[in-house]
Amino acid sequence: MVVFNYFIELFEKSDLIIEFVWFLIAMLLFLVITIIIYLKYLRSTLRRNEKSKNKLEKEFETAIITYLYAGDPDSKEISSDQLLIIEGLKKGTSKSYRKDILIATMLKLGYEISGEMAESIDKLYIQTGLKEYSLSKLKNKKWNLIAEGIRELTLFEVKEVQHLVKEHLNHPKSEVRSEMQLYLVNLFHFKGLDFLNEIKTPISEWDQIQLLEVLQLYKTQEISDISSWLKSSNESVVFFSLKLAKIYNQYGVKEELIALLQHPNVNVRVEAIHIISHLDIIEAKNELKTNFNTLDLEEQIAFFAMIEETYELADKPFILDNILNPNFEIKYSALKILKELSLDEFNSFKDLSLDPQFIKIINFVESN
Amino acid sequence: MQNTILVIRFLFFLYGFMLIGSYIVLGIISVIESIEYMKKNSFVNYNKILSSNISPSISIIAPAYNESLNIIENVRSLLSCHYANYDVIIVNDGSKDDSLEKLIEAYNLVKVDFLINEQIPTQPIRDGIYKSTNPAFEKLIVVDKENGGKADALNMGLNISTNKYVACIDVDCLLIEDALLKLIKPFLETTDTKVIAAGGVIRIANSCIIKQGKLIDVNLPKNMMVQGQILEYLRAFLLGRMAWSRLNGLLVISGAFGLFDKKIAIEVGGYDIHTVGEDMEIIVRMRRYMEELEDKPKYKVAYIPDPLCWTEAPDNYKTFISQRNRWTRGTIETLRKHRKIGLNRKYGAMGLLSYPYWFLFERLAPIVEILGLLYFGLLVFFGKVRWDYTIAFILVAYLFTVLFSIIAIISEELTYHQYKKKGTGLKMVIISFTEPFIIHPFILYSAVMGNIDYYFNKKKKWGAMTRKGMSNTQTKN
Amino acid sequence: MKKILLAEDNSMLSLLLKFRLEKEGYELLIAENGKESIALIEEHSPALILTDIMMPFISGLEVISHVRNTLFAKTPIIVFSASGQEEVVLKAFKLGANDFMSKPFSPNELMNRVQRILR
Repeated sequence: MVVFNYFIELFEKSDLIIEFVWFLIAMLLFLVITIIIYLKYLRSTLRRNEKSKNKLEKEFETAIITYLYAGDPDSKEISSDQLLIIEGLKKGTSKSYRKDILIATMLKLGYEISGEMAESIDKLYIQTGLKEYSLSKLKNKKWNLIAEGIRELTLFEVKEVQHLVKEHLNHPKSEVRSEMQLYLVNLFHFKGLDFLNEIKTPISEWDQIQLLEVLQLYKTQEISDISSWLKSSNESVVFFSLKLAKIYNQYGVKEELIALLQHPNVNVRVEAIHIISHLDIIEAKNELKTNFNTLDLEEQIAFFAMIEETYELADKPFILDNILNPNFEIKYSALKILKELSLDEFNSFKDLSLDPQFIKIINFVESN
Repeated sequence: MQNTILVIRFLFFLYGFMLIGSYIVLGIISVIESIEYMKKNSFVNYNKILSSNISPSISIIAPAYNESLNIIENVRSLLSCHYANYDVIIVNDGSKDDSLEKLIEAYNLVKVDFLINEQIPTQPIRDGIYKSTNPAFEKLIVVDKENGGKADALNMGLNISTNKYVACIDVDCLLIEDALLKLIKPFLETTDTKVIAAGGVIRIANSCIIKQGKLIDVNLPKNMMVQGQILEYLRAFLLGRMAWSRLNGLLVISGAFGLFDKKIAIEVGGYDIHTVGEDMEIIVRMRRYMEELEDKPKYKVAYIPDPLCWTEAPDNYKTFISQRNRWTRGTIETLRKHRKIGLNRKYGAMGLLSYPYWFLFERLAPIVEILGLLYFGLLVFFGKVRWDYTIAFILVAYLFTVLFSIIAIISEELTYHQYKKKGTGLKMVIISFTEPFIIHPFILYSAVMGNIDYYFNKKKKWGAMTRKGMSNTQTKN
Repeated sequence: MKKILLAEDNSMLSLLLKFRLEKEGYELLIAENGKESIALIEEHSPALILTDIMMPFISGLEVISHVRNTLFAKTPIIVFSASGQEEVVLKAFKLGANDFMSKPFSPNELMNRVQRILR
């Protein structure tokens, strides 16, 4: 008690600043206690949610699988057993978080299977009213919900809402644009790529890879005409069509590809050389060879990769010019080609330099 | 005399005030950034990229020094990453044990002829370079070289890799399966900014159940030392780095797991073998390189808050102290080597914000603290202590630390919720209260010792690197 | 009853195939990763192995390699791969896989192939 009184006295006598600090302490203490209570609440809610989510998932999983096997194999119609399941699912998903779980469960399978069963899952999506739910997300103000809605429409192949999805062509958030592009390409394949004519925003590398992967699901070598995209003022569209040219061996766009060798962006030029090499467009070779010394290093390296595939005896003087090239990769490439072109000359040039790097390459090329 | 004391008091007060202020600001920024990140990544489909052959190539570089005990399992776990286009380069850095023999036997390795473009000078190859004859292990390359320390081993990996990106990791840490995929994403999703490096969160694996290279169950360890570190990591990664990444001011990517643009890493000369803080140093140097480029391209060091990499933390004071001592010296060395950046407008946010912050609140913090304690000691000696002030200010600082820790825990719960077990929440709260007494004194001690070793014990400075200096975490339970 | 091993980490797909295969009179053993599947193969020597290529810890490729080169078993193996993994599939064939299906695949088609192999 004495101690306590001492402190009270002290407090009364103390300066303004110390009073303020004590006030701060009280505040902090209050905050700490509140936040601990919140943590407790948060953890139990999370645990409860997770439990009920797992339970729901299991329920939905069984329901979906039963639904899939309850169909009549000979008819396209929905069987009465299936109708029962649909009604059950509808009742069970009045709340939106339950709808989200059902969608996630259906997708878990949707990613892995195709054919009749996949179609039957798409049908289930429409029958349970989830399509309206996804569509309602498109009208939401939150961009992440719009993106989510588009994604669901994509995965359950709802083709007829194209116009609603396309409204987001130039949405300020890249995530929404990316989902929109995936929708078009997933459902309309090469025709879906028409958005490339209009798009003003850059398409990231990540999105490009996704789009190409989707396209590759459809085993076709017939693709749209890419020549206008190769001339696009949107550089990412150029990069994308270069990738298309490579994957789908587009010999038809030879001239456009050669024209890209003059593109202001060095990365475009390098990529163009790679594709030209991949497609064996010999016409470009002489031009590149003549201008070799004016090219950027990256282009030179890319060109040597091309020469490695297409060398002929006439290239020998050019190769000999480069066996002492200061760049390791070019030097290595030149020596490798020289050995193939003429072993005698390779042997006569192998003591040309005492540079250890040169000797290392010589030894390696000799024994391989 | 009276004035001097007033000035000293004012300086201490100002320092404390700024420290607390910066924590509050960083905390707020990190919350904003976390919400944004979770929103952005809630519906990403990694499946497509995962298996794509068009996805860019990555090399995992893992230096190993006397890791014989676990090397087979560790390599196996690295080989089973979910990514289509990668290889694994194990650099055996002059191990004196039978690591190499074990690897050869387990993975059917044979010596191959390999032309190395030695862009960064390193210690020479010792036994050779090995690859597997079994197509199932085609991704694996094992390099046996003379000992040169972790940085030197990583440089060898940089020379050997033919891929566009390199992931530098500690061989003993556990990567979750889609770690590469998640870490490559920032490089591929930006369109106007060049990402030069990306780092992930390090989580502590002590007491967690790991089976077959996979994290099965996350537990809170009983060891108080490790508990304290878990909290410390949560604060640093979920609140600190998250905010710095938003400000594009990250100066460090943990050496245990980071992904780099190989071309830039090589252009700056790879890792510095003369520092014990090579993981921080290379990031600062890469950033500096980008800032000094003529056309000033937009660039960033990215950060992924997902728990991608789990590692064992020291569970005894001895290893802990030596680890922190090394970190302290690494920070001092890096900041000193690049002191030109500090407060230099030419280096933008890095010079005006990150560097001063690191210097004031990481580099100087232990020194200020020790000076404060000494000053306080003097006051006690002369009987001049105002106990009401002392108690009040200590309480403020203490409660603030506790509050900050609990916010970090909440942030973890809201994002990844890894510690699911019942009762763990209460334990974590208790740790928030005890942690300042359990590990803080040791952090302070090792930081001070680090300073002393750096300035007065040159032998230690060099010795530590060649003998050890491999992994952040040498201990295994 | 003929035993079939399925190594697949998507539990719902496993469940779907389990229903179907059991209806056709096979016993299905489910492994969630490569290590489990090797253990199950050694214990039960199934008549057919269905394995995903990308699996945690031990990949499908290693499972094939283990069956052919360590156990010297001729058990037919069908691999599942994600699309666009032609190289990996080639590797799988080199190691001794008998057939492959690329995901997403049709469960009906899989049933046909299973029945053809086990007839």
